[in-house]
Amino acid sequence: MSLHVAQSMPDSVLLQARAGDVRAFASLVRAHQGSVFSIGLRMLNRRDAAEDLAQDVFLQLYRKLDSIESLEHLGFWLRRVAANLAIDWLRRLPNSVTQPLDENVEAAAQEPEGDLLMSRELMRLLGELTPHARAVMLLRYQEDRDVAEIATMLDMPVNTVKSHIKRSLTALRGRMIGAQLIDCEELP
Amino acid sequence: MNENFENELRRRLRPVEPPDGFAERLMQALPVDAKPALMVAFAKRPTARWRQFGMPAALAASLLVAVMVGQRVGIEREMRAEQQGREASMKLMQALRVTSQKLDLAYEAVNPPPAAGDEENRS
Repeated sequence: MSLHVAQSMPDSVLLQARAGDVRAFASLVRAHQGSVFSIGLRMLNRRDAAEDLAQDVFLQLYRKLDSIESLEHLGFWLRRVAANLAIDWLRRLPNSVTQPLDENVEAAAQEPEGDLLMSRELMRLLGELTPHARAVMLLRYQEDRDVAEIATMLDMPVNTVKSHIKRSLTALRGRMIGAQLIDCEELP
Repeated sequence: MNENFENELRRRLRPVEPPDGFAERLMQALPVDAKPALMVAFAKRPTARWRQFGMPAALAASLLVAVMVGQRVGIEREMRAEQQGREASMKLMQALRVTSQKLDLAYEAVNPPPAAGDEENRS
């Protein structure tokens, strides 16, 4: 929903927010809150921490609105700040990554039991990746960003991003096959 | 097949919305005194401009005032010196006049004018 709202939003909303219109700023928040919150949730594995992180990101945005040039830039800025802030939090609190992702269980609650198990396992395995690899995977598959953009967001070489994606995909597939959640036929 | 797995990841990693009321709580958490960056930028602009142009302008103005005051002091000093010169000249002239009168008197005292009979005897 948020992504659609963000894509259909006119540039004037950003200009209004920059001019001090609080309601316009709230519209920007609603358009991007899902994306920012999900990065926090899947990076930190904790709902409360994800909400804190999202709030921190939007407060930073409020202070730096004048540096945002367009809605496209806004999306880039929010993802970059959210991912890097989450990596930073994980460095400071490395033990916070062991919790299961209840949010994704909720999201998958209406799915068949097999899918629910797969979702849980996928989130658990994602939580086992290094913070940088996890951020790469989320920006690639949750946010659908291309490799070059991810490299810029995380300030790492393009080849490192590609390497993270390749290794993470292999690890995730292997673990899911091991847990019999997907068939061997899905191997490349 | 690889693509299938990636698509599956995309499907399962769809963004989820934060708890209800997130935006409202965030708006309440916005600092009351702080304004959006652009407003702050506008508010700060005079300070920034003062730093950028004000200081050099103040220095230039100070320099101009110093030069004008210096010139004025110089002119006044010159005028005072001229006035003093004039006064000294007048005093000198006065002194010369007095001296001349005194010398005339002294001369007359030393060389009195000849009496009327003496004139007649000479002729």
